[in-house]
Amino acid sequence: MNIFFRELRAYRRSTLIWAICLSTLVVVFLSLFPAFTKDAQLAQKILANLPAVVKSALDVSLANLFSIYGFFAFLFTFTLVAGSVQAMNLGVGILSKEESGKTVDFLLSKPVSRSKVVTSKISAAFCLIFLTNIVFSSVALIMAKIVATSAFSSKTFLLISIILLFVQIFFLALGILLSVIIPKIKSAIAVTLPTVFTFFIIGMLGSLLGNDNVRYISPFKFFDPNYIINHNSYDMKFLIIEIIFVIIATIASYIIYINKDIRAVS
Amino acid sequence: MNIIETKKLTKYYGKSKGIVDVDLAIKEGEIFGFIGPNGAGKSTTIRTLLGLIHPTSGSATIFGKDITKFGPEIKQEIGYLPSEVFYYDDMRVIDLLKYSGSFYRKNPKVIAKRIKDLATYLDLDLKKKIDDLSYGNKKKVGIIQGLLHEPKLIILDEPTGGLDPLMQQRFFDLLRLENKKGATILFSSHILSEVQKLCDRVAIIKDGKIIRVDKMSSIAENTHKRFKLETAVQVDKSRFTGIKGISDLVITDKSVSFLFRGHINEITRIIASLNLTNILVEEPDLEEIFMHYYQTD
Repeated sequence: MNIFFRELRAYRRSTLIWAICLSTLVVVFLSLFPAFTKDAQLAQKILANLPAVVKSALDVSLANLFSIYGFFAFLFTFTLVAGSVQAMNLGVGILSKEESGKTVDFLLSKPVSRSKVVTSKISAAFCLIFLTNIVFSSVALIMAKIVATSAFSSKTFLLISIILLFVQIFFLALGILLSVIIPKIKSAIAVTLPTVFTFFIIGMLGSLLGNDNVRYISPFKFFDPNYIINHNSYDMKFLIIEIIFVIIATIASYIIYINKDIRAVS
Repeated sequence: MNIIETKKLTKYYGKSKGIVDVDLAIKEGEIFGFIGPNGAGKSTTIRTLLGLIHPTSGSATIFGKDITKFGPEIKQEIGYLPSEVFYYDDMRVIDLLKYSGSFYRKNPKVIAKRIKDLATYLDLDLKKKIDDLSYGNKKKVGIIQGLLHEPKLIILDEPTGGLDPLMQQRFFDLLRLENKKGATILFSSHILSEVQKLCDRVAIIKDGKIIRVDKMSSIAENTHKRFKLETAVQVDKSRFTGIKGISDLVITDKSVSFLFRGHINEITRIIASLNLTNILVEEPDLEEIFMHYYQTD
């Protein structure tokens, strides 16, 4: 447990900052809701006249946009990108920082197995992401209750906001996997940003071109808010894809890290 | 019992050679020196023993247990100090040492006391941040983290860099004390005088292969003699050719110098036939023997 707590301490400040930023973002966005719905009909008309390409790029579903779910889901895209950066940066850094900081000799010459090191670090990272989500979802739900003009189902709302957790777990697992594959990572963010934005752009191009198969590649499209609003549940197919990916990536990370040679510092 | 035993331990980094067929047997209670120049394979051997890198072939046991199967268990009783030390910059010295101690199955109170004692002995401020420490002070942190759990085996990989002579002395005293209490020590170095000061036996490693394992005393005393002759006239080189055991032969204007290993009578006969003005026969220091090993290619 000592490594686990050490990691929680090491990341507590950055996690707190991320949680505050994501929460602030959602508070500011949702506070626009009342103003937005006031001129709903006008806005709807304008949006309806937008070219189809723009609508699909923005993933606008007119039927849902003016509900609190739809409004939240629309603005949620940005939260997802930011949250993905947080999660992936954490995933890439949590193991590789020992190597970039050259402390790996210290850690691995202690009586601890490599698998335990990985387990402790993954658990700590997951815990931090989970805490971020508790803060984010609570703030989002409370804010929604304040600004909503009519009653809404907390369950549906939370199902949407918990998409953040799933997308973050995807990028956390991906980050950890990349961190054990790529030798000599100097800075985690240099791995994170290109990866997250590549996936984001793939997802956006997919909507733009109306290519549904893209949904299978970009985690940003795994969980469609419109599907959740209409079905009040997740699309199981994609949930399973995510779970399989996370399991495979995690197992691969363990195997690679356990068998890796820790080269001497020079 | 052998504390460390390696059998044909081999490590290749891809195609480049790390160590080849290293056979070592280090006995309980020994201070065992491991010498060789940089890149000879000392660190590779040590890092393999510690499980930081995986052997390509061969095997090794520590405390009679296989290093690949019982890594964490073995390391409960190992203290390791590398040549270059790096710790978490955001931590204070005391936090780092407590963190280090938390890996061992020892009473935390005992460890805390030990940290305090060692810090006092080495004159280290426990409240400072790691980031603010000089290199020498970081090294002291390294010494303490390596010894705070009173390990049965202490592995030191060129440990003295950055320590001033006084601290080095204290560090060696500390090692001798641990050794007296029963700890076995593997001391790797390319500085021969410190190995000579501390070790009972040494292994010499060259190009990834162990070329000699012997008692410190027999390596230093019995094998080689350094002859320094001063002569009235220049000696012809041919007088020394064909004699077994002569190496590092230097003949100048009126002096002759060489290392000799072999029958002493044979060499004195030749010397007797020279016109000498002075003669000096001395035990070569390890440095010279060592150089000799590296020059024979």
